[in-house]
Amino acid sequence: MQIIISNNSKEPIYEQITNQIKSSILSGELPEGAAIPSMRKLAQDLQISVITTKRAYEELEKAGFIYSIVGKGSFVAEQDLEFIKEKKLKVIEEQLSAVIMNSREIGLSLDDLQQLLNILYEE
Amino acid sequence: MFNLIRRDFIIQKRQLVMYVLLILFFVLLGRQDPAFIFLLASIIIPVNTIAYDEKPETNILMNSLPYTRNEIIASRFLGTIVFIILATGVTSVLMYVFNRPFTTTDIAISSSLALFLLSLYLPMSYIIKPGYSAPTALISFLVLAGIVPPIVSYLGERLTSVTDFLLNLPVPIFYTSALLLGIVFYGTSWGVTTFIYRRKAF
Amino acid sequence: MENVVEFNNVTKRFKDFSVKNIDLQIQRGFVHGFIGANGAGKSTTIKMMMNLLQPDAGEVKVFGMDYKTHEKAIKERIGFVYDANVFFENLNLKDIKRIVAPAYKHWDNTLFTQYVEQFELPLNKSIKNFSKGMQMKASLAIALSHHAELIIMDEPTAGLDPIFRRELLGVLQELMLDGNRTIFFSTHITTDLNRIADYIAFINRGQLVFNDSIHDITENYALVKGRTEFLDRDTEKAFVHINRLSTGFEALTENVSSVKRTFGDSVVVEHATLEDIMFHLKGGLQHV
Repeated sequence: MQIIISNNSKEPIYEQITNQIKSSILSGELPEGAAIPSMRKLAQDLQISVITTKRAYEELEKAGFIYSIVGKGSFVAEQDLEFIKEKKLKVIEEQLSAVIMNSREIGLSLDDLQQLLNILYEE
Repeated sequence: MFNLIRRDFIIQKRQLVMYVLLILFFVLLGRQDPAFIFLLASIIIPVNTIAYDEKPETNILMNSLPYTRNEIIASRFLGTIVFIILATGVTSVLMYVFNRPFTTTDIAISSSLALFLLSLYLPMSYIIKPGYSAPTALISFLVLAGIVPPIVSYLGERLTSVTDFLLNLPVPIFYTSALLLGIVFYGTSWGVTTFIYRRKAF
Repeated sequence: MENVVEFNNVTKRFKDFSVKNIDLQIQRGFVHGFIGANGAGKSTTIKMMMNLLQPDAGEVKVFGMDYKTHEKAIKERIGFVYDANVFFENLNLKDIKRIVAPAYKHWDNTLFTQYVEQFELPLNKSIKNFSKGMQMKASLAIALSHHAELIIMDEPTAGLDPIFRRELLGVLQELMLDGNRTIFFSTHITTDLNRIADYIAFINRGQLVFNDSIHDITENYALVKGRTEFLDRDTEKAFVHINRLSTGFEALTENVSSVKRTFGDSVVVEHATLEDIMFHLKGGLQHV
């Protein structure tokens, strides 16, 4: 599991951790049931305080991404991936609608928009 | 407790050789009264130990380790007795080897004097500012060495009734009561020092 | 949450200075930083924690026990590091170990040897010839070799170079893998704390200002900068301390959300570092 932390980011460190673990789980990099490092070990590896990793893990547990067993460690919880994907898809639809509305306002054609999307997607 | 006493040996292991040489010097010189040599040998180590002990850093260290203040003082008083016994033993051997005559009376006088002096010195060393107690001890020792013998002989001449009484006491009773007096004095000093040390801030 | 150390309304008076009504709880399993200006009462507090000083009022409990009745049991479980060398300076590390080791029931010689090797400490050199960093490492090796549950350190990083400070923090983090351990250390180098401290206690002029988790501190405190004309008797209430400059004001708030409500986007709100907080709570420029 790779986690990259920026000390200069506006995003709090615990959020950086939760977001990165979440995306590792959603991308399938961390499969269901996989063990993740203990919060103390992670704190040591990232050279940050224990309370920060503790908070990150607590948030992940609350959101149902991981679960912890005392004395055993923390594991990736069973994910209803279909459900999460559906929710994400809905968000994407909404965002795209906004994009289309904006495009119409300035008279951007569908072809041009697709081209723009292609370029951005490839990046 | 044993560890606390052993600590003094570790701290002064290099100086111990110096002490033996110093005693040897006085033994070979042969000028001084045997009791004086015994006395010097008995108090030099305890006085030096105290000089180490009174440093604030040492007190912070000893009191941060799992020892109580009572134990720290107890080790000091018991350690002092151990040092007096050892010093007396070493000095006796040196005297014997270099064929200097001495009597048990010399040892009795030096040991009780050492106990008496250290009973005064130990509590004092925890009151006086660090760094001042060793010079104070040296000056007091010189002053006492200068004035006590004349005073004693003066009293001995004048207060004949007292000296007669003391001299007429049977020897065992004389020594036993002197010893008891010494123990009571030393014990009191121990109590007073513990009382002082418990209230000390570091 | 179990408290390893508890100060209940502790007061200690000196002729020209006193530490007043300290209520301090130290939770097991975390790193606690203790900050404050020189002379604010950090050392006095630590000395009371070690029973080198007894409070005039209030009570100090360590591991739930009282020093009056359980002094030895408490100190068995504490490892201490002071800013100055407290070991007999004429002795070498081997002799110092011979004096300190028998004092502890749980002294672990293998562990000590391991630290001596890790820190590259000479065993036969007088401690007085050690550099400041080496003295610090020696104290640390001794403090960590009896499986202490509570490590108390007074200014452990003072006078150390940044590389060794980083190394030390690494050693401390390794200790924290064992969730049973607690570290309490005073410092005025606040960057050390940003890295590893979970809780920060701040003492100012003998009084404990706060003892909070770093999250609470970063979420509540902020530095606010804006034009001086925005300040009036009402809006000033949002701040703990204000520095007025000809170019505008810089102020510290302990309630970010209320500042945002009052000022909206008309001011700049920045993350306050521990140094910013210390500086402003100490009274800022006006009193310096």
